[in-house]
Amino acid sequence: MTPRAPQPAPAALPRRAVVVGGNRIPFARAGGAYAKASNQDMLTAALDGLVARFGLQDETIGEVAAGAVLKHSRDFNLTREAVLGSALAPTTPAYDLQQACATGMEAVVGLSNKIRLGQIDSAIAGGVDSASDAPIAVSEGLRAILLDLNRAKTVRRRARILARLRPKDLSPDSPSTSEPRTGLSMGEHQALTTKQWNITRQAQDELALASHQNLAAAYDRGFFDDLITPYRGVARDNNLRADSTLAKLASLKPVFGKNLGAAATMTAGNSTPLTDGASTVLLASEEWATAHDLPMLATVVDGEAGAVDFVHGRDGLLMAPAFAVPRLLARNGLTLDDLDFVEIHEAFAGTVLATLAAWEDPDFGRDRLGLDGAFGTVDRGRLNVNGSSLAAGHPFAATGGRLVATLAKMLHDAGTVDGRPARGLISVCAAGGQGVVALLEASVQDA
Amino acid sequence: MSAGGGRPAAGPSLSKLYVNAVAMAAKARLLRTAPVLTLPSRAAEVTGIRADPAKLTEFQHLMGQPARDVLPSGYVHALAFPVAMSVMVDDEFPLPLLGMIHLRNEVEHLAPIQYRQPLAVRAWARNLAGHRAGTQVEIVAEVRAAPDPAVVWRGVSTYLARGVFLPGLDKPGLDKHGLDRPATASAREGFDPPAATARWRLGVDTGRAYAAVSGDFNPIHLSVLSARMLGMRRSIAHGMYAASRVIEGIGSPKPDAFAWDISFGAPIFLPATVSLCVTDRSDDGGGWAGAGFVGWNASSARQHFSGSVRVLPA
Repeated sequence: MTPRAPQPAPAALPRRAVVVGGNRIPFARAGGAYAKASNQDMLTAALDGLVARFGLQDETIGEVAAGAVLKHSRDFNLTREAVLGSALAPTTPAYDLQQACATGMEAVVGLSNKIRLGQIDSAIAGGVDSASDAPIAVSEGLRAILLDLNRAKTVRRRARILARLRPKDLSPDSPSTSEPRTGLSMGEHQALTTKQWNITRQAQDELALASHQNLAAAYDRGFFDDLITPYRGVARDNNLRADSTLAKLASLKPVFGKNLGAAATMTAGNSTPLTDGASTVLLASEEWATAHDLPMLATVVDGEAGAVDFVHGRDGLLMAPAFAVPRLLARNGLTLDDLDFVEIHEAFAGTVLATLAAWEDPDFGRDRLGLDGAFGTVDRGRLNVNGSSLAAGHPFAATGGRLVATLAKMLHDAGTVDGRPARGLISVCAAGGQGVVALLEASVQDA
Repeated sequence: MSAGGGRPAAGPSLSKLYVNAVAMAAKARLLRTAPVLTLPSRAAEVTGIRADPAKLTEFQHLMGQPARDVLPSGYVHALAFPVAMSVMVDDEFPLPLLGMIHLRNEVEHLAPIQYRQPLAVRAWARNLAGHRAGTQVEIVAEVRAAPDPAVVWRGVSTYLARGVFLPGLDKPGLDKHGLDRPATASAREGFDPPAATARWRLGVDTGRAYAAVSGDFNPIHLSVLSARMLGMRRSIAHGMYAASRVIEGIGSPKPDAFAWDISFGAPIFLPATVSLCVTDRSDDGGGWAGAGFVGWNASSARQHFSGSVRVLPA
């Protein structure tokens, strides 16, 4: 298989799409503070905070797109229902979107493109997930019986259908994080990738510790004050362990890849926990932001989706961004050295480290990316500088919104670097061997 | 559902064949008839076999596959199986049907078969041979899809009648002292498993579920009780369930023209967690040429099966 070539740079679109700002509720470990809150509750809370922050009461927004990975069938119009329950004008259209953990990223990229094309002036991208309030379905056997029962027209036929019922049909079917095609959980898949790239336990624990320390420092200096609205008594992501140490992390037992023996390096400390939470991002054209006297933090420059053939282990389940980022940067005439901030979603510490290792590997660069050698090295001083998912937690669909709002603010704070707008990259892996990555730069109005 | 009930198609009834087999085994034991050393000369042939769309859908879903209009290779085996079994219950067939162990399957799937095509199945026995643990035989099944006269599917199933030694047949697994060769002994113990690319969690009802979609109601697969009556400590998964699931999971080139084989090792006692490793193979041009696979018990590392899928030149 030859590497997929990057698309040529697109013809200039009519206008730019900017990130005005974001709002999320603090993320909470599953089964805790938000255990009784539904996806709609949390998405509405995040939306309400965004409306309050930017004065959007009774405003008709061009479009709202959000989604959840673990979703009840009754929530078919989750985002529209959240909009109707919010202070936004009821004339605001909305749609649900789902691309596993890349849901929030895809919402931002898709809506930005609509703004750039001139189809809409403003948009809200979001995502929410509750691992606590997860849907539980009836078994396949009972479901088939109930559906057949509904179709049966005579009492005799209904009785015959009911006679098919067996005790085992009454046990419910809980959602699982296993990949349907392999039966392996995401952690078990990552354990294979972690081993394949020889990522050490120490390196993973160090990355996890940095995530906690960076997130704690960002909270302490008030970085999240205008990005988060408290909810249900939670003011900070409650997975954050500011006092964690390498010794504590080193004491944890492996939870994934245990059959790998000494190569089992993945613990609850260097893997993200199941988390509840919601996030939103306000996007707009520059004209709309100016007309509403709203800030412009960053421009959404470009986005790229990718996927890998993971089913028989050719590539790791979570390695799609390792291919998508080189294409995205090539299309924009950039390299890793041209980036001031790099945000790589920490599904597992091993995911980040395996991605970095692949980019530093000359064979991977030549054979898989079609380059002359290694793709490049990420300056660790620019990686996840305000913490990421290992510390904040990872409510699947809400992570993209957290990353975009966080990076947009960092870019805005940095302003210009070497006389050009500060640049940042976001990389998010997703179930099914997918990933969505995006390039943002500071919105510098007088540049 | 059609009037056919659990049977996949018109043809010999599998449940009747199993009943006949029990009766024959009893008769042979009572009468102590002298063993027969030759295979039946005639082939069994049934035409006009059609897939039941409802059963086909259930089969495809049980294998975790979308319900396509072309027949999965394993489902063709299920459709041909009653004809193959009728060969083994023929009066002239020298081995007892009950207790036969499925050792190996080799299939050539030469063209896609639409589910509405009436199938003609021809089956016969060949290569009666000694085995260190008994006597083995091959059952060949050829499938044609009307109106095309060409064979579209050919399967060779190798079975072992354990403990049945027919005079005059070699026992290739034994050395001159009558002992097992070390190679075969070690094959039955664990092996060094590779990293799993997939895991199957098989419930106790796996055998019943496959029986319902394939029509193969062999008692050793149905329940602990029925398996014990035949000397098994627990029920075991059908070999063809494992074969179909792994072959369908690997996928085939389009249009279908491929060969696959599977050799069975330790039986899969239910419930079970089976680890699987699939290794893709490329041709010289970097295209997909097929895959090798191996399945083993996730905790004991005893090997359950291994085999391969190969693209056939179109």
